[in-house]
Amino acid sequence: MSAASPEPLLEIEGISVRFGGLIAIADLTFDVGEGEIVSLIGPNGAGKTTAFNAITGYLQPTSGEVRYRNRRLTGMKPNQVAGIGVVRTFQKTSLFAGNTVFENVLIGLHKAGKQTLAGILLRLPGMREEERRLRAQAQEVLEFIGLAHRAEELASALPYGEQRLLEIAVGLAARPEMLLLDEPASGMNPAETVAFMKMVQQIRGRGITILLVEHDMRMVMGISDRVVVLNQGVVIAEGPPAAIQRDPEVIRAYLGSGAARA
Amino acid sequence: MEQFLQHVINAQILGGTYALLGVGLTLIFGIMRVVNFTHGELYTFGAYMLFMLVMPLGMNFFVGLVLAIVLGVILGALIEITLLRPIRGADIDTTMLVMIGAWIAMQNLEQLTWSGVAKSVSAPFPSDPLVIGSVSVGWDRVFVFGTAIFLIVGAHLLIHRTQLGKAMRATFQDRETAALMGVKINRIYTATFALGSGLAAAAGALLAPVFVVYPTMGDMAALKSFAIVILGGLGNFWGAALGGFILAFVEEFGAGYLSSGYRDAMGFVLIIIILIFRPTGIFAQKERIG
Amino acid sequence: MSRFAPWAVALFFASVPLWIGDQYFLHILISTGIFIIAAMSLNLLLGYTGQLSLGHVAFFGIGAYTSALVSLGFDVNLLGWTVTLAPKPVWVGLLCGIVLAGLAGWFIGKVSFKVRGAYFVIVTISFAEVVRLVALNWIDLTEGPMALNNIPPLTLWLPWLGETTFWRKTPNYYLILVVGLVAFEVIRRLVQSRLGRSLIALRENEPLAMSVGIDVTRALVVATVISAAIAGAAGGLYAHYIRIVDPDVFLFIYTVTMVIMVVVGGKGTLWGPVVGGLLFGILPDFLRDMAAPEVQWVIYGAVMIVIVFFLPQGIVPAVNAWLRGRGASSRDAAATPGEDRA
Repeated sequence: MSAASPEPLLEIEGISVRFGGLIAIADLTFDVGEGEIVSLIGPNGAGKTTAFNAITGYLQPTSGEVRYRNRRLTGMKPNQVAGIGVVRTFQKTSLFAGNTVFENVLIGLHKAGKQTLAGILLRLPGMREEERRLRAQAQEVLEFIGLAHRAEELASALPYGEQRLLEIAVGLAARPEMLLLDEPASGMNPAETVAFMKMVQQIRGRGITILLVEHDMRMVMGISDRVVVLNQGVVIAEGPPAAIQRDPEVIRAYLGSGAARA
Repeated sequence: MEQFLQHVINAQILGGTYALLGVGLTLIFGIMRVVNFTHGELYTFGAYMLFMLVMPLGMNFFVGLVLAIVLGVILGALIEITLLRPIRGADIDTTMLVMIGAWIAMQNLEQLTWSGVAKSVSAPFPSDPLVIGSVSVGWDRVFVFGTAIFLIVGAHLLIHRTQLGKAMRATFQDRETAALMGVKINRIYTATFALGSGLAAAAGALLAPVFVVYPTMGDMAALKSFAIVILGGLGNFWGAALGGFILAFVEEFGAGYLSSGYRDAMGFVLIIIILIFRPTGIFAQKERIG
Repeated sequence: MSRFAPWAVALFFASVPLWIGDQYFLHILISTGIFIIAAMSLNLLLGYTGQLSLGHVAFFGIGAYTSALVSLGFDVNLLGWTVTLAPKPVWVGLLCGIVLAGLAGWFIGKVSFKVRGAYFVIVTISFAEVVRLVALNWIDLTEGPMALNNIPPLTLWLPWLGETTFWRKTPNYYLILVVGLVAFEVIRRLVQSRLGRSLIALRENEPLAMSVGIDVTRALVVATVISAAIAGAAGGLYAHYIRIVDPDVFLFIYTVTMVIMVVVGGKGTLWGPVVGGLLFGILPDFLRDMAAPEVQWVIYGAVMIVIVFFLPQGIVPAVNAWLRGRGASSRDAAATPGEDRA
């Protein structure tokens, strides 16, 4: 089943990241096909967020490379990576806290606009037209994510679960072809998580490929096409959810780390 | 050649006080993440304290020097407790604004107290300079250099050989973990700021008999400390010490062989060059991000 | 604040020379206006991008010197070549000052925006100091401490009035008022545009800003160039109003004055620098008889600390919040997305 995955969209080829003497990820290789939902899981400290950072340009891997539609992402700056359609969210809630929900999405729509300095200073018609269009798009994103009724509230004033939704809205506003979600459901209650799983499916339905880091196993097993398991910086298993759940090495990794933490 | 040697000696002497200033500032930045704009005013304060103790009060010069440094330490602790402690956890810009306010207030208080007229301090050193071969150095300057080195080594030992220093280093590494391990963060911050302030006051007091004392003398000292600290990498102890000497050499030779009018500009040109080519300072290791 | 507020305020200030005959007070207002323009430009960086430029006098002074020199003409020996410039009309000088200040802003932005925060602060201070020392020591060009004297006032061709030279206080007052309005409008349009949103985004959350494709460095460099150019314009106006420029225009205390105006008025708000500027531009003159300048400065330093402690957003946001609180109780208004808060 997993061998039949579609054309690889994102290819991660042998990347390693070292901090001083510490190896955060070692020789990480996997790919994500167009239209897939792939989950990257593993115990704490397995290197999942580091992998996200290395893919999206927030840090440069010590070796190896990341390709997207056969273009090298490695060496690009984060905004360039976002510019070609690979957008990430953050593990810890990350918003423009002093701005309203609507403004947050409007900022997220940066790539959808192209105002020139002259256009801005002279209020040229094209610029005004664009502002109107951006505002309409922001409204549309908020309706999709279900936060339209909160549009004028400060982002920092939202309850936690809605803040996490707003993060997704900001990411969606950046018009991704591929969305990397870093523990999007952490802090959501079970009902919110179920609703959120549906939303992830809808996002995929819009043609957006998804790479997910998540701790909530019901969510991972429920929506992923494939799961990649990372432990201590290396991939220890890869396959469809059903196979992963039975994989002895995965079970050991989780139990092992659980025992060590207890 | 003689001229060259004379420049080398001058640069060494100047470098000692620059290093003292730089180390004080970099400690405060490294441990507290505060850009201390009052650094120059503590330098000025040290100089005025020495002046007050030695000139009107007639105290022995060396006793006065020690007391001036102690007073600098106390003033530093007071500034930390009254101005920085209440805004602990605020972002770096907020603390910068507060420190700028304090800088302006302190400088004008000095102006009010001692007027703008420069004061001089006499020191009990032989007036014949020390002559080594073809080079001569005033005894006052030799004393300044020796004391500066003594204080820098002392600060280093304090940080590396004492319980307090251990706690400071732990805080520098990771504030939260240090707090969890029972380090009293507030006390460490006050101690750090007091130590840094004491070093600045020492630099001012040491130079008081060499130059003259006036209210705005701290401005140039503060600006140069910033340059030194950038040279060495923000928060880097030995980087700042070395940075002090580098700045002194660049200034001394720049002034000697290029143009004396631009003496004070050398350091700033240097840091602009550094920031173009090596933004984290000459000695900095790669910072870990994320 | 409503969209008509700037016009109401402008109208009020336009009427001032009609009922204030005191030329000295008009002079105070003109200097205050120049400072407000400079403070507005500082606010674009400090308030909207969160970067503290402590060398803003450098841009101001570059504008002043350039404009003065171009309109006076100079000949100077540059590495063996003699460069001569015949005197040019003042408005050409002003434009040159704006352009050169903008270029300086571009340079500073390029150098220091790889590293931010403390580094940016220190680079800007250092830059201002270097420029001051150049003005002091390049006597061939700048006359050094002897200052550039007899700088001509601005001459413009105006509709109805024809060729007008700004000798007297009243025309200068209107000139500053108009330039101030233009600067205000330029900044307003900027911060309410996509570029302005990028600046705010990077102030609020830089990693997130990058993740949606904002080229943070570029946005900052653009903001610095514009900020520096506006400061340069203020400097040029100053030179042709005061008609003498010496290296003291680069004194750090002037930057501090601008910072105090912005912080007290409210950084990151359009009206903050105006309110703060009026306060700290006019107040010193009233306090002159009561307190020596040193005492005043001690007070200003203390005010800055107190504001940061107790009113960290500054006066304008505090007043806005208070007004909104009152408004909400009377008409239960849907929270107005105040254009000022952004």
